Amino acid sequence: MTVFALFLSIVISAASLAWGFFSVGLINAAIWILIIGAVWLLAAQQNWDWVSSVALLLAVIAAAFGLWLKFPPGWMFSGGLFALFAWDTNDFRRRLRLVVKDEDTRTMERRHIARISLLALAGLFLASITMLVRAQFTAEWAALLVLIVLLGLAQLVGWFGKIQ
Amino acid sequence: MSRSLFLSALLYGLLLAGIITLRGEIVALAIPFAVYLLYGFWNIPEALNLNIERSLSTDRADSNADVIVTLTVTNHGGDIEELLLIDHLPHHLKLCSGAPSRLIRLKKNQSYTFDYTVAGGRGAYIFETIHAAGTDMLGLITREQVIKSKNTLLVFPEVKHLKNIPIRPRKTRGFAGVIPGRVGGTGTEFFGVREYQFGDSPRMVNWHASARHEDLYSNEYQQERAADVGIVLDARVSTNHFHADHSMFNYAVTAAASLADVFLSQGNRVGLLAYGSYLDWTFPGYGKIQRERIMHALARAETGNSTVFAGLKHLSPRMFPPESQIVLVSSLTQDDLDILIELRGRGYQVMVVSPDPIRFECGLLSPSPQVDTAARIIRLERNLLIRRLERAGIRVIEWDVSIPLDHAINPALTQTRRAL
Repeated sequence: MTVFALFLSIVISAASLAWGFFSVGLINAAIWILIIGAVWLLAAQQNWDWVSSVALLLAVIAAAFGLWLKFPPGWMFSGGLFALFAWDTNDFRRRLRLVVKDEDTRTMERRHIARISLLALAGLFLASITMLVRAQFTAEWAALLVLIVLLGLAQLVGWFGKIQ
Repeated sequence: MSRSLFLSALLYGLLLAGIITLRGEIVALAIPFAVYLLYGFWNIPEALNLNIERSLSTDRADSNADVIVTLTVTNHGGDIEELLLIDHLPHHLKLCSGAPSRLIRLKKNQSYTFDYTVAGGRGAYIFETIHAAGTDMLGLITREQVIKSKNTLLVFPEVKHLKNIPIRPRKTRGFAGVIPGRVGGTGTEFFGVREYQFGDSPRMVNWHASARHEDLYSNEYQQERAADVGIVLDARVSTNHFHADHSMFNYAVTAAASLADVFLSQGNRVGLLAYGSYLDWTFPGYGKIQRERIMHALARAETGNSTVFAGLKHLSPRMFPPESQIVLVSSLTQDDLDILIELRGRGYQVMVVSPDPIRFECGLLSPSPQVDTAARIIRLERNLLIRRLERAGIRVIEWDVSIPLDHAINPALTQTRRAL
């Protein structure tokens, strides 16, 4: 579950930033962001834990740069926020690697991801308000929100199923 | 850099960038980071106050037998969102099932118990510390505690069951045993003929001698007594360690343990001297308690750097009474010849059980003409050494360690028994 959340958050972060840069015509920058995202995914798969801090720093710089240049703010927010999510999940996975998986650790995983998801939702809510204020609440942004809500719901259903 | 410091730096960087560029969105981007940090700081665990007890299912185990290690953690401090416990396993101890680390949530005054199973080869394994790290939910701030909890696990060497080993020390003790005492009395082996004494059983009368001399004569049998046996274990690096860190020492320890076991079961008084970097004595004694003492000493035995058996020149008579039996377990070097002959000259009966180092090392090397030639030369030197020892009255039993000890030693001893 943690690994899935980690990979998904890296993908969403890189894709959001790349889409934001792509939508203003910075295609090369978007490609570079995707390459960095791919490297981050590879690092996560190889357990190169230090890469996640560098990737978070780059993602935040890219998001802040995009916000400064008035790129679509929702994508920038989403990029920064999911980078934070991925950074946190990567460190949690590092701690989990030190122990064997049992029912205790699975409960802990569920609790951790639930809490960090709440934080991400709060951030997305903030980003959505910004998009509304700036009149940039586009169909793509709506699609991202729907995707994340569906993922969250699927996760909740899965947990309740396991609990029962 | 700690996680909280890194995140704080990012947060302040964003706030600064927002202020400099006068962009509210950049400041807004900092909000999730601020919330994240605040949430982490809100849940900072108190200083850890844990009590951890470790217990072993047994503190003495056979080689590679499973031992269950149980840990009970009690939290006397505040609630801990994430507690990582790592029990440091002693080197060379193998984990069989479970895990020595756990990630748990532990509330105030709550206890948690977990266990895991380990196994290992001969040795003394000391469990010393348990590392506990308590963090907030997001892993931003970590409180650590190293708890000392010492447990010792002794893994005894493997003991092979050997047949009775025939030894004939010059001097025996007064107690009954199985070693011919060179004194007439009750026993099973014929010793001599003496004049009939009142009370002798008619079965003891030697009718042939009586008929020849017209007086009654009785057979006398050799008394069987216990003896003093000193086992000397050669723990020198030079005789035990070979190519690429391969060691023959465990074989030597198995031999010493098996010999001690058989001599004690015969009722003898057995002592042990492990000769490595220093002389490690186990004073002579009888029975099961002595067996336990010797097994403890052998479990702890390690190799060391000593050059020759110089220390054996000054053997304590308390440890090895004069004219007693000495059994040396050693792969032998040329330097050992003089001291062994000197021991023999001082009246000791000396027997050497010698694990064969040449076959052992040849088994580790890839075959080549050079290896064959070297092996042949060393074999000649070793055979010469053994022949000199045998000429001095020292019995040498060679042991190819690829064959189990009992299979190798029993036939050799049978031949010796016939010779005796």
